[in-house]
Amino acid sequence: MRRGYIRNMEPLKILTDAQVQIIHRGTLDILEETGVRFESERALKMFKKNGCIVNFEDNRVRFPSYLVEECIRKTPSSFLVKARDPKDNLRFGGNTLYFMCSAGARISDPKTGETRIAKMKENNEAVLISDALKNLDYFPSYTPYFEVEGVEPIMLCPTSCAMRLRYSSKVSRGAQAADSYIWETQIAQACGAQLLGNMEAASPLSYSEDAINAGFGYAKAGFPIYIAGGGVMGGTAPVTIAGATISNNAELLAAVVFFQLIKPGVGIIANDIEYPMNMRSGSPAFGSLGISLHEAAFNQIWTQFYKIPTNNCAAGFPNSKSFDLQSGYEKTHCAMTSAYSGANSILLHGGVSAELAYNPLMAIIDDDLAAIVGKHLEGIVVDSESMAIELIKEVGPIPGTYLDKLHTKNYWRRENYVPKCADTLTYPEWITSGKKSAIDYARERMEEILATHKPIPLTSGQNKDIDRMLKEAKKYYKDKGML
Amino acid sequence: MSSDILDDLYRAVLNLNSKDAEHLAKKSIEEGVDPLKSAEALTKGIREIGEGFAKGDLFLPDLVLGSKVLQKALPVIQAEIKRQGKKANIKGRVVIGTVFGDMHSIGKGMVATLLLSSGYEVIDLGVNVKSTVFIKAVKKYNPDILAMSALLTTTAYEQKNVVKDLISKEMRDKIKIIVGGAPINQEFAESIGADGYAPTAPLAVTLVNKLLNLDQEE
Repeated sequence: MRRGYIRNMEPLKILTDAQVQIIHRGTLDILEETGVRFESERALKMFKKNGCIVNFEDNRVRFPSYLVEECIRKTPSSFLVKARDPKDNLRFGGNTLYFMCSAGARISDPKTGETRIAKMKENNEAVLISDALKNLDYFPSYTPYFEVEGVEPIMLCPTSCAMRLRYSSKVSRGAQAADSYIWETQIAQACGAQLLGNMEAASPLSYSEDAINAGFGYAKAGFPIYIAGGGVMGGTAPVTIAGATISNNAELLAAVVFFQLIKPGVGIIANDIEYPMNMRSGSPAFGSLGISLHEAAFNQIWTQFYKIPTNNCAAGFPNSKSFDLQSGYEKTHCAMTSAYSGANSILLHGGVSAELAYNPLMAIIDDDLAAIVGKHLEGIVVDSESMAIELIKEVGPIPGTYLDKLHTKNYWRRENYVPKCADTLTYPEWITSGKKSAIDYARERMEEILATHKPIPLTSGQNKDIDRMLKEAKKYYKDKGML
Repeated sequence: MSSDILDDLYRAVLNLNSKDAEHLAKKSIEEGVDPLKSAEALTKGIREIGEGFAKGDLFLPDLVLGSKVLQKALPVIQAEIKRQGKKANIKGRVVIGTVFGDMHSIGKGMVATLLLSSGYEVIDLGVNVKSTVFIKAVKKYNPDILAMSALLTTTAYEQKNVVKDLISKEMRDKIKIIVGGAPINQEFAESIGADGYAPTAPLAVTLVNKLLNLDQEE
């Protein structure tokens, strides 16, 4: 099982306990009075049978508070996801922090920085690079690229899932669009892996039929589930962080009830991807202050109060279009806030230009950021060895030195992190070695990974199964007139 | 009296006050104010909001609330224009909507409002609009422009389906089609047989002006 990083400190509390209670009561009020729309007769019937008030005219489900709280209690505080190789299994929850690969519609070309549609070879290389990165623990759906040259849009999700499983042994999340779950489930099972199932709300307070069908499908397959909202504060959620938290929590708790009714005890990770709106463009304000404040409140409520594991997305989608100061501070303030407030997973590696591009060089640099954030979270060792009182007495004042002491040799690595892609040279060295930046180091590392890294291979039978399933998926979409 | 009401109508838009605007629209009719002048007062207000947005002084909430004011007041005036047998002074008619399977409304709403503020009549079909509904609206309203929005890669191809359906019903050549949304680009627009694409809402107005040969007037 992947270790991840272990938080060794109390998580940040951005809300008082009284504020958490008020927000929770507000959420229950919305669920009971306003309800959530589910575009699925099958789901509506299930809710009605279990004590919800269901209006079959407007597909609205109103949830009694006792049921919501019962389902929160049924949701485990930690759960296992099986990868195709046990060394890559994940156990979400508790004090563990994992990092998830980010994503982008297109490739941000590692040579030019220009954004264009990725070729299949580039898609697979990006997966292989992610497989090699030590601090990247798993993949979301349809990643790294939402568009791949030569792949019809409707075939993107199953094809992308197949390539992730082929070029990496790490866990993947399934997608929910257009019955993709049927093929992704079969592909994962053929590889001996579970997926992290998926059901995402359409804010405000709605679930589409596609999402619900995927939810039923993934639950039936016995997979643990990733649930997500995705409101834009000021557009599809209230503009205030407290209001957006209530609206988002209502969407997600409706999903918690949905899954606990289908399969009591199923593991759930709740994602936060609630952005303020950019009031010039109407787009989500990626990388902004509002999202990291929202995530801090979200993590406190979900991991500390509901005891349900969380993922945060903000750090993975900086607004900056390139590797620059903006991208650095946007990623770092979001990742640090998520980590300190108790997130169990952070989407981080490779995102550039909001959700519109992914760059494997950025993923390599982000692996250093993940290590720094993770090691921060592990805190400081305070024991007789680390306090070094006897040593301080032994070394005394100048000319005493610690460099020739075993204590230094033994502990310097544990107490620090040496980034793999940072420029740490002196100025003269930097000049004589060609003025290399972090990006140059990342490029060298990328070339090395591509030349040497070999993912754990699938068997030829598994590869054949994948190809057959993709053919079947194509036929399915053709028969439905979607291809 | 008439100029007072016209001024109040104009200010109701600037103040983003739907209730006042609707009330004043009805009052202007009762008092026999020329509905063409009332329509001009309303569009003058939304035009100023559009200009403020373009300059960066105003933001999306102003634009959207301004549009809401017009949606309340303008139909009242338009009905009166029709009743009196007059012809509204518009640059052209646009039918707009977000395609089937896609619930995103913000970008589409921005384009609709900026077109409205630029003097176009806009029929907004909303979100999740089926091809059959687009076709029906084109038949009913006979627009100059059909504008379609899609924010998802998976729904972008629904724009193509609408174009195909228009061709099969021999309606394609009667209108100009423009498309927009995050996954759309010029290359995609051309590939599905659209007449134009714009990456932003203000540029969508420029595009419509150009397609209708009105760009010299701007």
